Amino acid sequence: MPDLRVLLLDEAKKRVLLLGNEAIARGILEAGVSVVTTYPGTPASEIGDSVSVIASEAGLYMEYSTNELVAVEVAAGAANCGVRCLTAMKHVGLNVAADAVMTLAYVGVRGGYVIVTADDPECYSSQNEQDNRFYALLSNLPCLEPSDPQEAKDMTIVAVKMSEELGLPVLLRTTTRVNHTRGPVVLGELAERSLKGDLIRDVKRMVMVPAHARLMHDRLLEKMEKAKGISEASPFNAITREGRSGVGIISSGAAYNYAVEAVDLLCLDAGVLKLGVTHPVPEKMIAKFLARHRKVIVVEELEPYLELQVKAVAKDCAPNVEVYGKMAKSFFSRKGELSTLSVAQGLAEITGKKFRVDFAGLHSAFADVMKDLPARPPILCAGCPHRASFFVIKKVGGEGAAYATDIGCYALGIAPPLCVGDLLVCMGSSVATAQGISRVTGRSTIATLGDSTFFHAAIPGLVNAVYNNAKVTLVVLDNATTAMTGHQPHPGTGMTGMGSPSEKVSIEKVVEGCGVKYLRTVDPFKVKEASEVLKEALQQPGPSVVVFRAPCVLLSVRERRRQGVKVVPFKVTDKCTDCMTCIRLLGCPALVVVDGKVRIDEALCTACGLCASVCPYSAIEGRCLK
Amino acid sequence: MKEFNIVLAGVGGQGTLLAAEILGTAAVKDELNVRVSEIHGMAQRGGAVVSTVRIGDAVRAPTVIDGQADVLLGFEPLETLRNLKYASRKTLVIMNSEEIPPAGLAAKNLKYPGLEEVKQKISRFTEKIIVVDAAQLAEEAGSSLAQNSVLVGALAAVASFPVKLESVVEALKQLVPAKHVEANVKAFQLGYGAVKKEMAS
Repeated sequence: MPDLRVLLLDEAKKRVLLLGNEAIARGILEAGVSVVTTYPGTPASEIGDSVSVIASEAGLYMEYSTNELVAVEVAAGAANCGVRCLTAMKHVGLNVAADAVMTLAYVGVRGGYVIVTADDPECYSSQNEQDNRFYALLSNLPCLEPSDPQEAKDMTIVAVKMSEELGLPVLLRTTTRVNHTRGPVVLGELAERSLKGDLIRDVKRMVMVPAHARLMHDRLLEKMEKAKGISEASPFNAITREGRSGVGIISSGAAYNYAVEAVDLLCLDAGVLKLGVTHPVPEKMIAKFLARHRKVIVVEELEPYLELQVKAVAKDCAPNVEVYGKMAKSFFSRKGELSTLSVAQGLAEITGKKFRVDFAGLHSAFADVMKDLPARPPILCAGCPHRASFFVIKKVGGEGAAYATDIGCYALGIAPPLCVGDLLVCMGSSVATAQGISRVTGRSTIATLGDSTFFHAAIPGLVNAVYNNAKVTLVVLDNATTAMTGHQPHPGTGMTGMGSPSEKVSIEKVVEGCGVKYLRTVDPFKVKEASEVLKEALQQPGPSVVVFRAPCVLLSVRERRRQGVKVVPFKVTDKCTDCMTCIRLLGCPALVVVDGKVRIDEALCTACGLCASVCPYSAIEGRCLK
Repeated sequence: MKEFNIVLAGVGGQGTLLAAEILGTAAVKDELNVRVSEIHGMAQRGGAVVSTVRIGDAVRAPTVIDGQADVLLGFEPLETLRNLKYASRKTLVIMNSEEIPPAGLAAKNLKYPGLEEVKQKISRFTEKIIVVDAAQLAEEAGSSLAQNSVLVGALAAVASFPVKLESVVEALKQLVPAKHVEANVKAFQLGYGAVKKEMAS
């Protein structure tokens, strides 16, 4: 199996293949970081997961925090006791953590503190594609942008140093194509680390009452003045190519890779300024670069973040230079991820260069192939308990009920034939969006969210339902793990990120503690019983909670393999009338139709028995495996 | 060295990620520059997945330009078609013949295209097609889960593939689960042999 112990190798200069996220984990060890906090989220998850595997041996502390806000707060405490810390999260996690981050910028830190924000252009696994570089501007925190795994490691180390030098948290902003790219990484020396901190009382700096906050806002602005000098001198801000055509390109992060390859593709003799420290930008360096070119093209993913700043510099220092990007006229898309091809197209349009390859012909042939190609969207796995849950929910709620859904595998419940999900905004939102829907429509309203999401952000919403007496039913889909992001433990699992057992926080006790009067727990595979319970829950005058509890099938399958338990797939008997009820209702990938007959794919069937319980002719037989 | 681009297209759960990691690890063993792109998270749940491996001194971007794949390694016929935009006349398509019908195909009254139809579509992009029965070869090797190793072996048999055979085998042994090493090495050899034989004929 992929061996993460490579991250512990005490062999400086050795060249190894690392995933961007693993490279950041190695950077943590080379930077002397001692406390790592995280909440899992694609594309950031493997940072915490890698650290979790090696934490004990490396002598550092890591935790999966309840959510990103808590993760930042824990680290803010430790970093202010002089210990080096890092928190990793996906981009939207920073929205959750923003309250702490904005004021921690005033307070600052003593030990170096890096916040990794992993943005997801193209929304590969996210609900939006916000550009978190604007958080750097908003919070007045320095921001570094690596373009590949090597830089991801190196910048982690530099960010820790910069943080300590400035006394400020530093943002390390990655994107999916950095987090989830593997590349060669040259290892550096492992650093000493210490988990021992001390709290030195410094009330004016550290206790943000208004009088102190005014002072510290001043200090923050001073620190950022100093940061400008660091940015100007940073080797991560550098001219990587000299050109003679009068065309210059400014780029950062993953976009830089596309930019230089596009320049080669077009045989463009352009100068290239690569920015690694993108807040504060090196204004003097940019001014000089502008002065040396007639046209400057800013190539960046998502928002015109650099373009805004380059234009501001140009206005004062080089007003005659033409600056191109995506503002006045959009030469590069503001949405989705870029590619070498899309960047080359933009560059060609600006410079009048022609392509050597006929992409138009290729694309029209490809459009022909795609026309009648069946789609293959992600789906709930065979044996997934969410399928049983949504089957029950749909059976009870029908078309009349409203369905507020949430972030996790169960968002896939919107796919046919289950089609459960009317509104999805962000982590933990369902329990509260359901209250708004229910209040103004009077419809039966069911909110669904998972166990990890419950702990992450649903509790204030649930308290609200009790306090304001909202008539909603929350169904907690408890599969005993954080499934979507790679099966991380959470407060309900009784296991920590350090791999040690801990108190299991009981969902039921939390729900009871919030004052919910109707609470039931049931196995969703027991379709009849689960349906009765849900029916009863929907009839309550106030908020009700049903916990549908059944473990993630990927975990059960793994456990069975470990124990050597053989799965005997279910069978379709000759009682089958080909009525297609199972196919129509469930959409299980293990149920296939061959020559008009329903068959069970033996390789996929996990013997959950859901199909047998919906068959009107009792034509599917087998023994349920739990 | 000129660049060498591989696109691995398959279905979540088929082991495309591991195959790509094996290729990347092998390239680093040979002291080559390499980038491997992966997609994790929601997309993996039985959905279409694609990984790319790019080897070459000047390579920086992890993703492949349209039409610029040297090898399109299709783990499944439909997914091979879905990624044909990476193929052009220079591309060799190595395709596993095992079909994985997408869920809901029957409910939507859609048919899975036949192998000849698939090959005919590929031939609009390139004439160089090798079909491998990875399921059968993996079975022969002793593990139905070793299809990805069959396909890595098939790729390693391509003459222009710039990584040493022994480096790929070494990376494979390092990365597949310890108790399945033997079956996976066997699967690799069967895939390698199948393509060598095809090329000789």
